[in-house]
Amino acid sequence: MYRYDQFDAQIVKERVDQFRGQVARRLSGDILEDEFKPLRLQNGVYLQLHAYMLRVAIPYGQLDSRKMRKLALIARDYDRGYGHMTTRQNIQYNWVALKDIPDVLEHLAEVEMHAIQTSGNCIRNTTSDHFAGATKDEIMDPRPWCEIIRQWSTFHPEFAFLPRKFKIAVTAAEHDRAAIRVHDIGLHMRERDGEVGFEVHVGGGQGRTPHIAAKVADFVPEAELLDYLEAIMRVYNRFGRRDNKYKARIKILVSETGETEFTRLVEEEYAAQRETEKIALPQAEIDRIHAYFAPPAFADKSATSEAFERAKAADPKFANWSEVNLHPHKVPGYTSVTISLKPIAGLAGDATDAQMMVMAHLAETYGFDDIRVTHAQNVVLPHIALDDLYTVYRELDAAGLATANESHITDMIVCPGLDYCNLANARSIPVGQEIQKVFADPAYERDIGKLHINISGCINACGHHHVGHIGILGVDRKGEEFYQISLGGRADEKAAIGDIMGKALASDEVPGAVKTIVDTYRDLRTNPDEKFIDTLERVGHDPFKEAVYNAAD
Amino acid sequence: MTSVRPKLKPETPKTITAWDTASGQVVWMRADGSWSDDPTELGVFTGAAAEDALAKAQTQEGEITDPYFMEVTADGQIAGRETLRESIRANGPTVPYGVII
Ligand code: HEM
Ligand code: SF4
Repeated sequence: MYRYDQFDAQIVKERVDQFRGQVARRLSGDILEDEFKPLRLQNGVYLQLHAYMLRVAIPYGQLDSRKMRKLALIARDYDRGYGHMTTRQNIQYNWVALKDIPDVLEHLAEVEMHAIQTSGNCIRNTTSDHFAGATKDEIMDPRPWCEIIRQWSTFHPEFAFLPRKFKIAVTAAEHDRAAIRVHDIGLHMRERDGEVGFEVHVGGGQGRTPHIAAKVADFVPEAELLDYLEAIMRVYNRFGRRDNKYKARIKILVSETGETEFTRLVEEEYAAQRETEKIALPQAEIDRIHAYFAPPAFADKSATSEAFERAKAADPKFANWSEVNLHPHKVPGYTSVTISLKPIAGLAGDATDAQMMVMAHLAETYGFDDIRVTHAQNVVLPHIALDDLYTVYRELDAAGLATANESHITDMIVCPGLDYCNLANARSIPVGQEIQKVFADPAYERDIGKLHINISGCINACGHHHVGHIGILGVDRKGEEFYQISLGGRADEKAAIGDIMGKALASDEVPGAVKTIVDTYRDLRTNPDEKFIDTLERVGHDPFKEAVYNAAD
Repeated sequence: MTSVRPKLKPETPKTITAWDTASGQVVWMRADGSWSDDPTELGVFTGAAAEDALAKAQTQEGEITDPYFMEVTADGQIAGRETLRESIRANGPTVPYGVII
């Protein structure tokens, strides 16, 4: 994991001191909300329905036990005993008092964390594959490049006041788990003739006008990446619309300009960057950053573990969990464990302080001190030996952290919705809970297979409903909560925006409609291995629409 | 950050609500113009008195943040188009939180 150097530590500390002064002036009434708001937003502080919310950056979702314990301490001492993991691999606290936030930031700084650039019109946290550095299907570990982008984009003066917020995601695996095609810039690492480079996608996004990114370059060599990103940022900074907040994201610029013309503008800017301006990262610096992400000292193990096989035979619940929540590791005898934060009828993405302590302990004791927050609002222990798995599982189970549903129908992405959010039209969490109850039987859920449901409480789409296989969007009808269902979205390498099925449904109709969709799929699939999204692609949306709306008539 | 709030007619009973700046807690104005974190204590205002109360709240934007009109019934119950939002704001999330399920 990257460690702050003296310079990093100092700028973070100075920022805490500066914000402490700003909060003191706000509390004394020297400055009012209008003046204070831009300052607090630069430090990740929002004002929500009930209280202030603090969003803490977790660069590419990576934590260690020291950081996780600090997050637990903050949850316990400054919040109401929990935190919420977000789709951008960050954590949010819902109840922190403004007067305490400078102290919280000081705690974070002690463990090399902060809330800088977690809101506002700047480059936000760079996200990545949560299995980075562990998964079999990557060509290399993308985290060093996330870190290089983080360093380049943090406090970059030219990009501090963009037309709108800006999000970058990087993956190095063929199967895209970082949703790069719905980011402002998505980078897919590729290998060509022994050289590593980046396929560059620009202009993806969600919100009220969802777009899948356009591919603007097939292969940008590593050493030129920052120059190329800089060229894109300059084109955006210059031509991106500042007159209308809803048209200010780069996705609008790309679609209004057209992919070809936008690409030409980027290439032109790239060519025009004078030699003196080029960032051309020295190989020594690239190597220095990579050294922080050297693989841990894995033991020489055989690919199978007797202890693991024995435990599975003895404990069917464990066997089921192992089939659902493990991801193949590149090193024999190891696996990546998904800790689901989606217990049935629980709080999607929330972890209590006690649970955070358990996860920290397990990572420290069994997992080379590595923890990831996933964009699906779960937590991953990327490197666990199969020999230790049953021990890890039992400790997770005792802490309510052993739900076996990774990427299944009850593992939903759910935004905070009207239970917390000041912008919401409708609640998200209770709808998700009611849907979960319908699919609570593990055998039924396993039979359905992989299926992503995503729920947002308004068109801002923080719950990524546009790219859910089944997307659910809360809308307000004269003060009543209604939900629009869409089908066929996906966030992976075949990214697509879902189609709205028909008229919005009342909240108590939603779980039944989802069940109808799912049972229609089970009737129509050619065999149990055909996934929901594949059946949908094969047969089209009509049978599903008919089933839902005829049943409702 | 604030969501779009419906305009209220002068004669519609209303109170002033805001957030306590230091804690972020939701507060409502009492009839005497002081602030309470208990919605059962809120004052009901109409017409010019309501405008005066909001103007007074706006001069207190050190202590409180972002005051606005919230619709209530004549006896001080949350009412109108924003009932669900304001009820959740007053009573907290409708789901239990901070617990291990
Ligand atoms: C509760 C406080 C939150 C507020 C006020 C908020 C606000 C917003 C707004 C206004 C947008 C639309 C931006 C645009 O299209 O230009 C947005 C998008 C988004 N938010 Fe949130 N959000 C909140 C919480 C969250 C949470 C909890 C998550 C993760 C679960 C999240 C993740 C995202 C993502 C991934 C997007 C869409 C991607 C994109 O930018 O295109 N937000 N949010
Ligand atoms: S989608 Fe809407 S309701 Fe949900 S968190 Fe984002 S802004 Fe709030």
